[in-house]
Amino acid sequence: MTEIEVPYQETIGVRHPRSWITRYWFSQDHKVIAVQYGVTAIAVGLVALVLSGLMRIQIGFPGLLPFITPDVYYQAVTMHGMIMVIFLLTAFLLGAFGNFCVPLMLGARDMVFPFVNMLSYHVYLLSVVVLMASYFVPGGPTGAGWTLYPPQAILPGTPGVDWGIVTMLLSLIIFVVAFTMGGLNYITTILQARTRGMTLMRMPLTVWGIMMATVLGLLAFPALFVSGVMMLLDKLVGTSFFMPAIVSFGQPLEHSGGSPLLFQHLFWFFGHPEVYIVALPAFGVVSELISVHSRKNIFGYRMMVWALVAIGALSFVVWAHHMYVAGMHPYFGFFFATTTLIIAVPTAIKVYNWVLTLWKANIKLTVPMLFALAFILTFVVGGLSGLFLGNVIIDVPLSDTYFVVAHFHMVMGVAPILVIFGGIYHWYPKLTGRMLNNTLGQLHFWVTFLGTYAIYYPMHYLGFIGVPRRYYANGMESDFYPESAATLNEFITIAALVVGLMQFVFVYNLIASYFRGKAAGSNPWEATTLEWQTPNTPPSHGNWGDTLPTVHRWAYDYSVPDEDQDFIPQNVEHT
Amino acid sequence: MWVAAALLIVVVGSVAFNFLTPWWFGEAASNWGSIDDIVLLTFWVCGVVFILVGLSLVFSIYKYRFRQGARAHYEPENTRLELWLTVGTSLGVVAMLGPGLFVWDEFVRVPAEASEMEVFGEQWRWRYRLPGTDGKLGTTDIRNISMRNPFGLNDDDPNGLDDVLIQSSEIHLPVNVPVKALLRSKDVLHDFFVPEFRAKMDLVPGMVTYFWFTPTKLGEFEILCAEYCGSSHYLMRGVVAVDRPEEYQVWLHSQPTYAELLAAARPSNRDIAEGRTVAETNGCLACHSLDGSQVVGPTWQGLWGRSERLVDGSVITVDEAYVRESIVSPSAKIIDGFAPVMLSYDLPESDIQTLLAFLRSTSTFAPVDAAEGLADAGEVLVQSRGCLACHSLDGTKGVGPTWRGLWGRKEYLTDGSVVSVDAAYFRESIEHPNAKVVEGFAPVMLPYQFTDEEFEAMVAYAVERLTVP
Amino acid sequence: MKTISEARGTLVTTLADDWGSDIATLKGVPWGKVMMWVFLVSDTFIFTCFLVGYMSVRMSTIEPWPNPSEVFALHAFGVSVPLLLIAIMTFILISSSGTMAMAVNMGYQRRKKAATNLILVTALLGAMFVGMQAFEWSKLILDEGVRPWTNPFGAPQFGAVFFMVTGFHGLHVSAGVIYLLTIAFRIRRGKYDESDFEIVEISGLYWHFVDLVWVFIFALFYLW
Repeated sequence: MTEIEVPYQETIGVRHPRSWITRYWFSQDHKVIAVQYGVTAIAVGLVALVLSGLMRIQIGFPGLLPFITPDVYYQAVTMHGMIMVIFLLTAFLLGAFGNFCVPLMLGARDMVFPFVNMLSYHVYLLSVVVLMASYFVPGGPTGAGWTLYPPQAILPGTPGVDWGIVTMLLSLIIFVVAFTMGGLNYITTILQARTRGMTLMRMPLTVWGIMMATVLGLLAFPALFVSGVMMLLDKLVGTSFFMPAIVSFGQPLEHSGGSPLLFQHLFWFFGHPEVYIVALPAFGVVSELISVHSRKNIFGYRMMVWALVAIGALSFVVWAHHMYVAGMHPYFGFFFATTTLIIAVPTAIKVYNWVLTLWKANIKLTVPMLFALAFILTFVVGGLSGLFLGNVIIDVPLSDTYFVVAHFHMVMGVAPILVIFGGIYHWYPKLTGRMLNNTLGQLHFWVTFLGTYAIYYPMHYLGFIGVPRRYYANGMESDFYPESAATLNEFITIAALVVGLMQFVFVYNLIASYFRGKAAGSNPWEATTLEWQTPNTPPSHGNWGDTLPTVHRWAYDYSVPDEDQDFIPQNVEHT
Repeated sequence: MWVAAALLIVVVGSVAFNFLTPWWFGEAASNWGSIDDIVLLTFWVCGVVFILVGLSLVFSIYKYRFRQGARAHYEPENTRLELWLTVGTSLGVVAMLGPGLFVWDEFVRVPAEASEMEVFGEQWRWRYRLPGTDGKLGTTDIRNISMRNPFGLNDDDPNGLDDVLIQSSEIHLPVNVPVKALLRSKDVLHDFFVPEFRAKMDLVPGMVTYFWFTPTKLGEFEILCAEYCGSSHYLMRGVVAVDRPEEYQVWLHSQPTYAELLAAARPSNRDIAEGRTVAETNGCLACHSLDGSQVVGPTWQGLWGRSERLVDGSVITVDEAYVRESIVSPSAKIIDGFAPVMLSYDLPESDIQTLLAFLRSTSTFAPVDAAEGLADAGEVLVQSRGCLACHSLDGTKGVGPTWRGLWGRKEYLTDGSVVSVDAAYFRESIEHPNAKVVEGFAPVMLPYQFTDEEFEAMVAYAVERLTVP
Repeated sequence: MKTISEARGTLVTTLADDWGSDIATLKGVPWGKVMMWVFLVSDTFIFTCFLVGYMSVRMSTIEPWPNPSEVFALHAFGVSVPLLLIAIMTFILISSSGTMAMAVNMGYQRRKKAATNLILVTALLGAMFVGMQAFEWSKLILDEGVRPWTNPFGAPQFGAVFFMVTGFHGLHVSAGVIYLLTIAFRIRRGKYDESDFEIVEISGLYWHFVDLVWVFIFALFYLW
């Protein structure tokens, strides 16, 4: 690299917003947009949390709350799932962390198209509003399960078939538009708008994780979009994409010739990359947390990057492991079991590298570090239980049981959420200039980690005895379901309620620390990455003042031998 | 130090929980106990990884806790180590995948000697069909489903006539005989799952899916629907009873075949109406009057059971055989006084059935007995609108209360009150089903709209056929 | 300790050096162009999913699939000419890609008037395409009784796929026409005078994409 190219960013001016509306509501500043995404995602996530509480109360103490009828229960199951996966996890990891971290970590002033970025948030907000509108339409929200399988999603016998399924599908379609707009920005910014000296292999792993997730999203969400459009047409217009000949409650229907399996293929072609869209940014962020808080470079940075790329690529050829017992041709089982277990290899490499980073490190047990450690353990549990399910023959008895519920909660609901918390504790000082309260943070951590572990680890074993998922009650005389399992359900419910309550303490911490938190300074964690080297904290609009930083080293120069400090920021020259 | 201790407790506790837990696979009741072995293998491989990762976390947190002024070891990468770890992981993956795929191979290869059983699922009950003495299941089409033909069998397919139809949710199987379960759905996705058998497969409407298994233990095993199918998904239960061969044969012979069901079917008002439509659309009524007037062919008024003199002097009685022959070979037996001008008709069997029902109804001058007709009409309604999917007629508990002995029965409601099943309660339960729910049942019934005449018919049906005998 | 940027010598490392170098991976490519390419890749997946869905539905229909040559025949001069209208539509769309390419050329030569006019011609051809598609729709709906849920020619999914796929494509063409008109008027007003007029190429990319999708729809739906 001998030519010195002047980054295009240096030649463009930054137009500062003037009114309250352009500063906070229609802001084009990536940091504000990040907060908008974050606040909206947390708000809707709390709704989903309450729904999960209702579900657990019904499972643990059937009949305790009489208003939870089967319809209400299944509506809660569906809305909880969809909100958590799409509107919380995807929106927070990509919308909030992506927007906040990427330009700062790359030394950019903002995303390449701030206007489109702003639009993407408002379209996301619209999708949330449309989804919440489900509660106000006749019949209420859809109760088809987050997977929305036809034919039942649009036939009587399932709650919300009149309007709820329509609002759900519309909201997803709108979300895809929002995601696409955001995704275009991220990729273009990461590829084209880095500062001087910031080569791809000097980018922090957070950016790599977010970039891979964005690529996955841009290629996977189309399948969800198309399946949503086709199901809307089947429902509203009477087409038969997914609807074969059916006699529903004694009435023969007009549909014929469609295939429910087509929906499942389209949905899971999206659905599997979706879980990696959630996981890959989490992998990136947790690498950051472990490295900073153990004062040691992430072990095997190159392999970590390649593992991210490999996992992303492989995630497109494993989807039918969600369909092993769906009735597709049995030979597909051989193929997809093989690809699924292959994807375990790069994922395992990442786990080994996190563990090896801690080896001979200098570990500070700060709150972000605690969350990162808990991530490693819970992700290992969840990932290993995925190996059971990926091996096709083992999936046969375990599919549609609580084993699956335990697996995906561990690996999507516990591990990435722990990373989100860790990331918030980590970057809150940069965003606000204040530290989050440490005591509340410790309390939040221990209750959340131990609580969620207590919920989901034993739950795997309910799957072994064959307790099916999506059961409103296990009632009726059952020989196979021992009395002790009901006791376990009660225990899990109580743990869930305790963990749920603790999240409100976290929200209180977020708000209170904004006003009363300890002043943080520019780089309280003594980290090397660029976002901590901004001239102001919180960073002002345009991030870097007059001159963009120049990068001279990779993102993980911690504990470099023969140096005064145990970290060297990326924009410090070599002597 | 405390953090390390806490993590250690979590790791050790998880391992201990695994060995001490009461919640484990029960003993398998089918040949697929081999799956349990693969699970155990996977547990060992994964367990080792979990313990190693967990313990190294614990160790690192303890040993390498932060010390001011200390430095971490600086080693950005170690390609050799990572290579070995990759190789090791791949070997572990192969160790799990290899045996797993072997067993899957067995799973997808149905043994040639497996007998067949059809599982016919719908919202929210299970029914079954067995091949009968010819060993072959008849072909079906969803669009054939009617009151007379609840499984939708194709009447043109002779293999279907001897099929054994099991209308309850309890199926019997002989022990140690491999069986291929053919799965068919009437409406939405379901899944046939017996935990003790380990095997399961989805029912997909528009397709016939399958899996096979060999029951190896005697006993009764609960069937659970394992693919969400609506509000009463959790209530869609059944029983597989695995019998000794002799007991199985006894049970099998007590089940009706399709042919027997057809023979026992009472012509309903709907069948009669359909038969009349058949007569109109095929032009029969152009030549055969219904009011006694003489047209091209013999009048159909009072036709059934009538004695007729043929042109050759012999006398026959109008019965099913004669009618069938007259349709297909009209010139074979001409009634005295009429010309051999009738064309031959090739009607589908289902049309002939309804036409016969219509013709039978002509055996008296008066229409079918009013009360009988009304109850019949009510029966048609409850069948066609799906009531019987949730309310059994034979006393078995389903999604809703059984209708055996329904009329006049005392029911205890969820609010503790008692109600007697009468016309008012019956109507309310249909229009506002969740207003008064019987104790022990969930408020899952959908409301239905009927006209007053339809209610009258259903009440007549209930009074006549659902009263305690 | 070796990092990638310090390694030298092998072809692979030089490639990684190039692509992984600082500031920009795609050298000299304006941000808007990268964004358009990425968007088009995503949109390609959308149409691919639609067409895969169509092929899957067609393979599994229980009733015979109508013959598109017969369904889309036009009666001209007393003779039934199969796919005549579709052929004309295809010709128009491909020609519009030609005028668009010329507009891009004019743009880079900074000949604003020529570029604007060529863009307007492209938009006009696009509008004609949409008009003809609308005519086709009205003919099928009003005269032939084709509906999304049924049609007199065969498998009911035929109408469903037809309206869905051509509908989405038509939406994209219509959006493209509006987009092109906006660009043309902005060029005339001098909004891009400071730039290299790469905006014409960027909008051209979108237009070519729309044309390419039509080629696939034409081949897979009308010809097969």
